[in-house]
Amino acid sequence: MTENGPLPLDGIKVADFSWFGAGPICAQALGVYGATVVRVESESHVDALRGIGPFPQGKTGYNVSGYFNNFNMNKLSVTLNLNTSKGRELALKLIAWSDIFLTNMTPRILERWRLTYDDLIKVRPDIIAAYQPMQGFDGPHRDYLGFGAVLGPITGFNHLCGFPHRPPVGVGTNYPDYVINPMHTLVAIMAALRHRRRTGEGQRIELAQIESSVAALGPAIMDYTANGRVQERAGNRIAHAAPHGAFRCKTAKVTAVFGEQDLERWCVIACFDNEQWAGFRAAMGNPAWAEEQRFATLDARKEHEDDLERHISAWTAEQSPEEVMQRLQARGVPAGIVQSGRDTLQDPHLKQRNYYVRLEHPEAGAGAQDGPGFRLSKTPARFAMPSPCLGEHNERVCKEVLGLSDEDIANLLVEQVLY
Amino acid sequence: MPDAPAALHDVRVIDLSGEIGAYCTKLLGDLGADVIKVEPPTGDSSRGVGPFYHDQPGPEHSLYFFNLNTSKRGITLDLRADAGLDVARKLIATADIVVESFRPGELEALGLGYDAPTALRQDIIVTSITGFGQNGPHAGFLAPDIVGVAMGGIMWLAGDPEDPPNVPYGFQGYISASIQAAAGTMMALYHRDITGEGQHVDVSMQEALLISQETAMQTWDLNKGIRNRTGARTALPFPVPGIGPYQTTDGWIWSYLGTPGGAPWTDVLKWMEEEGASEDLSQTPYSEIIAKLDIRYLTGLAIDKDGRERDGPHLEYIDQVLRRFYAARTKAYLYEHGQGRRILIGIVSTPEDLANNAQLNARDWFQQVEHPDLGETLRYPGPPYRLSKTPWRITRRAPHLGEHNAEVLSELGYSPSQIEAFAGAQKAS
Repeated sequence: MTENGPLPLDGIKVADFSWFGAGPICAQALGVYGATVVRVESESHVDALRGIGPFPQGKTGYNVSGYFNNFNMNKLSVTLNLNTSKGRELALKLIAWSDIFLTNMTPRILERWRLTYDDLIKVRPDIIAAYQPMQGFDGPHRDYLGFGAVLGPITGFNHLCGFPHRPPVGVGTNYPDYVINPMHTLVAIMAALRHRRRTGEGQRIELAQIESSVAALGPAIMDYTANGRVQERAGNRIAHAAPHGAFRCKTAKVTAVFGEQDLERWCVIACFDNEQWAGFRAAMGNPAWAEEQRFATLDARKEHEDDLERHISAWTAEQSPEEVMQRLQARGVPAGIVQSGRDTLQDPHLKQRNYYVRLEHPEAGAGAQDGPGFRLSKTPARFAMPSPCLGEHNERVCKEVLGLSDEDIANLLVEQVLY
Repeated sequence: MPDAPAALHDVRVIDLSGEIGAYCTKLLGDLGADVIKVEPPTGDSSRGVGPFYHDQPGPEHSLYFFNLNTSKRGITLDLRADAGLDVARKLIATADIVVESFRPGELEALGLGYDAPTALRQDIIVTSITGFGQNGPHAGFLAPDIVGVAMGGIMWLAGDPEDPPNVPYGFQGYISASIQAAAGTMMALYHRDITGEGQHVDVSMQEALLISQETAMQTWDLNKGIRNRTGARTALPFPVPGIGPYQTTDGWIWSYLGTPGGAPWTDVLKWMEEEGASEDLSQTPYSEIIAKLDIRYLTGLAIDKDGRERDGPHLEYIDQVLRRFYAARTKAYLYEHGQGRRILIGIVSTPEDLANNAQLNARDWFQQVEHPDLGETLRYPGPPYRLSKTPWRITRRAPHLGEHNAEVLSELGYSPSQIEAFAGAQKAS
């Protein structure tokens, strides 16, 4: 387990033709476990994430987005204009060099650029080609428009998440883009790699993003298919625990970008059984209200949940969520801070586990990036390179991978192929 | 392709993981691994979690459990008793992978910590899935899903600012932890295939979720800004027509008009005109605003107070007319006809809409799984991915409690009388 020890994917080459979240995050995971990843981009279709902040203060441009730079570490960036025939030729050359091809471009564009599986196996018969179309490569909605913001609504997350008296506002992010779709894809790619190692045979992977996302909503699907029930948004409550929710704590003062501001603080508390409920009562100092018969059992607490939550909120209101969490966890009661981005960055537990990664980026500086989503004891993820600037490795990729001369490269630049 | 090879056909997984890891071992099982789920004699806690088949609670009726435990066999073992521990050790010696979710230290106390399986089988992979990982000050914390989504930062961003932060539906902390764990396990397996070396995979539900905060962490890191939950509001400080949830005659749609990639607002106006529902939007001043109504214009208004005062009321009016247009049509009509015009509208699908979704059904996504004891075939969520050569497949329904006790013990070399004695002892304990 040394800094330079072997990694599982040493020697594996990846042609990353993806953008936004679902593809790049998957390719980054391949990269930090040893694969050589070449990210193909173009100035004619810049990854929108390069243009979305947050940006470091006082900096702008395509290379400094904290959003983009969180998903593209350990990659080489080459710009290829796939609207040119030379650009497509070079793309196929890159693919012929690769073990894995990955894209979340639409079926229409992939057909136009001739990057379908049938096109790819002509140049690399044992390629593992992973496609992440929104709706799939066939079916009546194949060409429907969509990206993260409408994926939540279409797949059922918006209908099911939130409070019943509100519109279906969703979870506040393009949620399936970050773990469900990229990491499902990684599971599939690893299965394909294993099969190829054993048989020499590549294959095509199709992860339709709606299918991968709906797979994460099993209980509601089955409640309808088996029982005919259409589940509705239910806020934070669940049938088998009470309390189960978020409770307001003491407001904090923080010094943020516009000076000192009030910051809401919240903690979650859950009791799944009477033992936890007894621990909770003890942690509160056994107040009289908590001894009432109407809170004595789970069924009773469910029945009087409004009152239960009111009492608990009164108890949490004057404490910090850190105090509530520590006090309850010490008594065997599940509790946690509802952490903001600021809180997670300052989380002492995450600090001790060295979760966040800071790599010096030539333009953006040493911002924090998310670390590994899983840890391997003998072959730990290695975050070696910050996310690339647009086209940063054009020359290197052209020479080392595509075998081009200086003169070829100069011509391709002039012709806006390396663009 | 019923005879196609499975990617994990030669892999055995012992699943000691309970609720947090059930989706991980389902992913491995549906890829062909022989997964043996070990439950306490009283049953896995998720058997008590609804929804239940025909609303009849009971350990053999949990639809939640059914869905998370396809393609697994199931045995019951009392790990507090020597006989149960002995079987567990024998089983682990036959395994390639152990997936477990005990609090750090508990498995060690049972003599089954990472070192113990390694002693039984040197190249074993042990995947531990817990709330906070194997070390650090919170490692011993109790962490049901709600604690994971809170500490992992995604809950802070979910919901309306006037409500408490929202726990996303469907135990998403468990789901993310399980998917990351499956990916980590596959990575470790690939390494073992090449080198013969096993290892310990440490998955923290909190860490599994952190990247799903989108930009919240960086917003603080780079700019000392707090990204808060905004509900249905956009980041712009004034009403924006056509972005967000809208009511229809039979539910909701999500509308995302004027954004890059979709048709411009003028196409929306044309559609409303064709249906005789544009009211006076084709006239001054609305048509001029609609002609320039895109993200660039809107972000420009955010820093242009005069422009906002001038156009703000008109934007609100445009939104009211649009609201009436949407409110008089069905969600399916708006989804299909909007998409037909490249106008970015998504249906806010209910579970019923998903079950009837033309796309999912055209692609035969849902799976039929037989439940002979219920006298029924139930319709399950289908594959998250489709592999052309080593297909995903549900190989069997979730096990009944202890369904494969005799079968698995017999594979371990227990005689029929030993099996009977074991069953008797377990019943008594």
